[in-house]
Amino acid sequence: MPTENLSDKRMSKFKNKGKEPMKMRDRRIAECVELRKAHKVESIMKKRNISSVGDEPLSPADNTDNKQVISETIQEIVANVNGDCPEKQRQGCQAARKLLSRERNPPLKEIIEAGLLTRFVEFLGRNDDPTLQFEAAWSLTNVASGTSWHTQQVVEHGAVPAFIALLASPMLNISEQAVWALGNIAGDGPSYRDGLIDCGVIPALLARLTPDAPVGYLRNLTWTLSNLCRNKNPFPRFSAVQQMLPSIIQLLHHSDKSILSDACWAVSYLTDGPNERIDVVIKTGILPRLVELLGFEELTVVTPALRSIGNIVSGSDLQTQAAIDAGVLSALPQLMRHPKSSVQKEAAWAVSNIAAGPCQQIQQLITCGLLAPLVDLLRNGDFKTQREAVWAVTNYTSGGTVDQVVHLVKCGALEAILNLLQAKDTKTVLVILDAINNIFLAAEKLGEVDKLCLLVEEVGGLDRIEFLQNHENNAVYRAAQALIEKYFSEDGDDQCLTTEATDSNFVFGASDLQKRFDF
Amino acid sequence: MSQMSEPSADAAVTEAPAPVSQSETKQSPAGKKLNKKKVEEVVEEEEEEYVVEKVLDRRVVKGRVEYLLKWKGFTDVDNTWEPEENLDCPDLIAEFLQSQKTAESGGKRRAESDGDGKETKKRKDEPEKLRGFARGLDPERIIGATDSSGELMFLMKWKNSDEADLVPAKEANAKCPQVVISFYEERLTWHSYPTEEEEKKDDKH
Repeated sequence: MPTENLSDKRMSKFKNKGKEPMKMRDRRIAECVELRKAHKVESIMKKRNISSVGDEPLSPADNTDNKQVISETIQEIVANVNGDCPEKQRQGCQAARKLLSRERNPPLKEIIEAGLLTRFVEFLGRNDDPTLQFEAAWSLTNVASGTSWHTQQVVEHGAVPAFIALLASPMLNISEQAVWALGNIAGDGPSYRDGLIDCGVIPALLARLTPDAPVGYLRNLTWTLSNLCRNKNPFPRFSAVQQMLPSIIQLLHHSDKSILSDACWAVSYLTDGPNERIDVVIKTGILPRLVELLGFEELTVVTPALRSIGNIVSGSDLQTQAAIDAGVLSALPQLMRHPKSSVQKEAAWAVSNIAAGPCQQIQQLITCGLLAPLVDLLRNGDFKTQREAVWAVTNYTSGGTVDQVVHLVKCGALEAILNLLQAKDTKTVLVILDAINNIFLAAEKLGEVDKLCLLVEEVGGLDRIEFLQNHENNAVYRAAQALIEKYFSEDGDDQCLTTEATDSNFVFGASDLQKRFDF
Repeated sequence: MSQMSEPSADAAVTEAPAPVSQSETKQSPAGKKLNKKKVEEVVEEEEEEYVVEKVLDRRVVKGRVEYLLKWKGFTDVDNTWEPEENLDCPDLIAEFLQSQKTAESGGKRRAESDGDGKETKKRKDEPEKLRGFARGLDPERIIGATDSSGELMFLMKWKNSDEADLVPAKEANAKCPQVVISFYEERLTWHSYPTEEEEKKDDKH
């Protein structure tokens, strides 16, 4: 009976039936070896980023830079792609993809000028031929990754609706490629970003955000979403932001660091705007998670998280308080000591904005131990960081109570900023002089101006301020002069000759303020 | 240095829209022309109402304080500097001065946006070698299985190729179920459960 023969045949396939033990053992060993090899090859290729020869025939494109060769290759591609044979279309598309994805100088312009984009966009719709769709999508992705002009070409050939449709493709690699292409288009600028939003890209993207989506897919998705949040002039409209936010918040709780990084960037774009924009983000309740992310090891996560926090505390006092309540002050000190100077700088910037708030918030800076690290930055930070730290001091001395200002001076901040008076940057010098003035105002209230003068002189600050009276910048020399006149002029033997530059003429004369200082 | 707010339809408006007192501010969008008009057509002038929408900036020219005004119903191209004494919009001026205060003396400073750090566009490079089913080959048979990566993978031998590679079991189950079934059948073993007596007699293998 035929059935019996069939079952015999299948029985012989069964593992241990009628086979010699040695043969079976050999077979098992060979299998294991093959598996190990395949694993090894896979991980080597991932590390080295090489493509092995494999089945795909060596294309002439591998012959790289020769313009002649490229031109010939493209001609061949055009012929294949314009024909009717599906196999040739696939070949042509793949050859184009390879040209467009090689390391150096992919011939974006040549491919465009050969008129290939029309066919590629057409191929995006060929649901009957997933390989063709994939190669076309990859090719268009790479063209769209070029300059604005390149991206424009892709868009003007009608790629956008086709890509949005492909987001729903059951083939994950094709859907992912569409996500990537749309990310490139959105990243071009606010105009295309809004164009995509108008075409309904957001719901289509969010529909693919499922728990079983592979990490690689989610990474691309997050990156594309972040580009849709990006750019100002104008900002993305509120309705779009409201649509995307819940998903972004979700992604901020993922474990993959790349996803976290891009989700944080999205938040940083969304918080980089007027207070209304910041409000929308705060209302999601994301602040505690952002503070948590500040403590991560990975710079790719910390940088955008810190930027987001910095943006938030540059908002209103209420918004700043929300950040403080979420614990940002406990995270900042270690960021101010971070090995990366860019992180130190951004942390100092955040502190400077918190210090621009009401004295209750300044008090929290004190209680949470931010002054010592701040003074460290004033002393040892790189210049950009010092600049931010100086702003922190000025803001602090402007809004702080007398006691708070005294405390800051005791921490060594005055000496540190006096040392920075030799900076070349005019704005910074002005900010420092402002701070010194504020500190003196506090001293006045305590009746301790002379003590302060002594302190300033002892650390060499007086010399520096005097020197600044010769500064080329109007505002600087006037500010320096004003300080000297108000607090450092003496009478008697040491007549300080100060010049008063008025609108009309120079008047040499002793300062009006004659105060005796006993040392 | 003053910030110009973007006209945005759905932005929540924090600034009060021009209240009644402001709408009574009669100003011409071009100060100099006002004088001319007064001389020529006084009647027309009184019927035209120009409303200050916002105060944008402040300057001192020859000892006189002037403010840069944005006019309601006009674009920013028509903004003009007007002397302080010509104006009757104290609220708007106060608002401007307040914003200046926070901006300059001990106030909040926004991000510089230097180097956002994240690329705007990404090219997909060749290094991603097509693997598994993406190679477009027909499965011949599965020659092994492993889950060391955390996910069950099959080692697939493809037709017309010597290079086998790994594919996720999920994908193989969907795309070539018969091949998968063959693989499992080849490896089926039947265990007979020995009775108590047989256990005692069994040799160790």
